[in-house]
Amino acid sequence: MTIAQSYSVALTRQVDMRRSRQIKLVLGWGVFLLFAAWCANGTIIEDTDWSRIGGRSGVLASVGRYISLDIGLLPELIIPTIETFMMACVGTVLGCFFSLPVAWLGAANVTPSKRILYPLGRFLMVLSRSVHEIVWALIFVSAVGLGALPGILAIAMRSVGFISKITAEAIENIDAKPVEAIRAVGGNDFQVMYYGILPQIYPVVLATVIFEWDINIRRSAVMGLVGAGGLGLLFFRQMNSFNYGGVTMVILAILMLIILGEVISHYLRKAVI
Amino acid sequence: MTVLSVRDLRVRYSAKGPEILKGIDFDVQGDDFMAMIGPSGAGKSTLIRCINRLVEPTSGSINLLGQDVISLKARELRMLRRDVGMIFQEFNLINRMSVMDNVLSGRLGYTGNLRSLFRHFPKRDIDQALYFLDRVGLSDHINKRADELSGGQRQRVGIARALMQQPKILLLDEPTSALDPKISREVMALIRSIALELGVPALCNIHDVQLAKEFCNRIIGLQDGIKKFDGETSTLRDSDLEDIYAMEVL
Repeated sequence: MTIAQSYSVALTRQVDMRRSRQIKLVLGWGVFLLFAAWCANGTIIEDTDWSRIGGRSGVLASVGRYISLDIGLLPELIIPTIETFMMACVGTVLGCFFSLPVAWLGAANVTPSKRILYPLGRFLMVLSRSVHEIVWALIFVSAVGLGALPGILAIAMRSVGFISKITAEAIENIDAKPVEAIRAVGGNDFQVMYYGILPQIYPVVLATVIFEWDINIRRSAVMGLVGAGGLGLLFFRQMNSFNYGGVTMVILAILMLIILGEVISHYLRKAVI
Repeated sequence: MTVLSVRDLRVRYSAKGPEILKGIDFDVQGDDFMAMIGPSGAGKSTLIRCINRLVEPTSGSINLLGQDVISLKARELRMLRRDVGMIFQEFNLINRMSVMDNVLSGRLGYTGNLRSLFRHFPKRDIDQALYFLDRVGLSDHINKRADELSGGQRQRVGIARALMQQPKILLLDEPTSALDPKISREVMALIRSIALELGVPALCNIHDVQLAKEFCNRIIGLQDGIKKFDGETSTLRDSDLEDIYAMEVL
């Protein structure tokens, strides 16, 4: 085979290969777009009550009702805002306490029993995260009644999954050398943990807790929807009494609180890392 | 007086794995500063960790300070470990703690959990720590974090921590391998002089044959889990060294 021949063979092969790749790409996009259209048809076009939306002006008027703020609600906002903030704080702290044993069980290198307790620890992490905070709140409202307490418990339960998972992973990634040194001086298990492991993981854990706290402020703002105290409850009441201006006020209060949380966590994170 | 005697020590890390130590016997006397030389992978680190059971031996016997190490229960083992000062190749310090706290951690074996929790060490311990930090030449770095120090300084922290235990024997696992030649010599000289001063025997894993000859009175040569040489430093001949390092691929 001459050089020219082998060159032309390579060229045809290259062109064929590119063409088949282009066809696959076009087919792939086609399938994706058809699927998206099918989803949109099912959920939006068929599932919406178009006759009740009314005209364009009707939609604007409905939205417009939210714009006229109900300033008179301001004094009533203060206590629930503080309550929401405190629910987030207490819930996070409680969540940290619950996370400690879970992380201990669920970290492969320190777990007391790899066959039974390690899977249990991992299961608890998944359980905490797979149940939505509102569902946790519903459970605790039925268990301990209305108020801030079920909200705190719900937030604590929901926080365990993330905090303990990150903590367990940090424990699994530690440097074994300081641990060896503490064992060598005759340290007991507690001392090995406190001196060998904790100093290595605490920056990660603290950053995670701050992050979780930040999220928990958002969570505690909606807890009231199921009767678990805070701004959510006020929100629910405004909605039920068709006081749309009041609803906006509550949303603004939540927004302020979240911005505050964002600012605080930004500085806290800077301080620990 | 024999401080440590090891008989027919064998170690495997797993039931099917290779035998790392294949029946080692040796003794350490009360005034020995003994070197253990041998190529990488000969089992030196494993051997030294068997002595305070950081590694569990598979069979054999170890008698340390009059106690049968292998039969000790967890609590008794912790008691024994308090008497064994260990210095590590990579220093094994707690990086985020201060030099002082690292040195004080040498007293953990004597400290209750509540005191440990608040790092509330007795005044006597702090006094001791200051003395040893001065002895190893770190008086100016007491409140620095351990990871701010240079390699040689960190090893000095490791030495001070071991001394805090008021050890009856020192185990040194390649104490100079992570250091440059000049610092290595200084650190070895420091350990040697402290061991003499306290009248404490030492067993020292060491890579550098030159350092071993210079600082140690007795040498054990290990190769692939088998003892190839055991004798006074002056009796170590070049042919012995060739034998010990025969399998090392350069």
